[in-house]
Amino acid sequence: MANPFAELPKDLVTLDAESVSLRLDATLYPLSAVYSAAYIFMDRAYLLLDQPDAEHLKVTLSWKKAPAQASGALERLAGEFANELLSCAWRARIAEDSRLVIESTTARALGGAMGPPSLDDLESFDFGDQPFEDPLGIALSWEEKYGKKKKDDKEPGP
Amino acid sequence: MTVLKLHRKIYRGTAVDAALKVYGSYATFEQREEPDHWVVSVSATTPARERRVAGELANYALGLTIAARNASPE
Repeated sequence: MANPFAELPKDLVTLDAESVSLRLDATLYPLSAVYSAAYIFMDRAYLLLDQPDAEHLKVTLSWKKAPAQASGALERLAGEFANELLSCAWRARIAEDSRLVIESTTARALGGAMGPPSLDDLESFDFGDQPFEDPLGIALSWEEKYGKKKKDDKEPGP
Repeated sequence: MTVLKLHRKIYRGTAVDAALKVYGSYATFEQREEPDHWVVSVSATTPARERRVAGELANYALGLTIAARNASPE
């Protein structure tokens, strides 16, 4: 079987007799994504994570039990891990991008779940406060805005 | 002897200690600290057993680190 990593840069994937190592760019694959992918593989492989320098992470994998089809087993393990890692990194990115929306929606849902205000809440509520400025008079009723003015409101004559 | 080097920024010290306690009866361990790593030397009766214990220990420490990180991210 041809080595599927033959065309990749040599320092990216290292194959040994019993293990395979992947060198990862930490800006593309954050540690949280590497943790997630590693957690998924723990039941079938031994994993060792390392940080050779500030910009890179290194993951070394080896099978717990040698699979029936031993030929290319380590390459398969590395390939599956790399795919899972890419998926985890993408999910981490989406979660980070949509964090504000999720937090806002959750806060609104929790606020709604608290139910209507109680009588005590209403009693202590200060209705005298001006909740917002209304320079265009949008919050005024029709009568207040366009209704006939009272006689008292008439401007004094000349 | 198999030597495990667990990076301090990736593995929590408490997780490594807990893993050593769990697997303490399966092999002999020697611990030491380096500036960037927790270093654990594993000695067992056979190379295969040594490899297995070292692998399980590393996985266990990693699992505990991930669980602790999810519970209280730093």
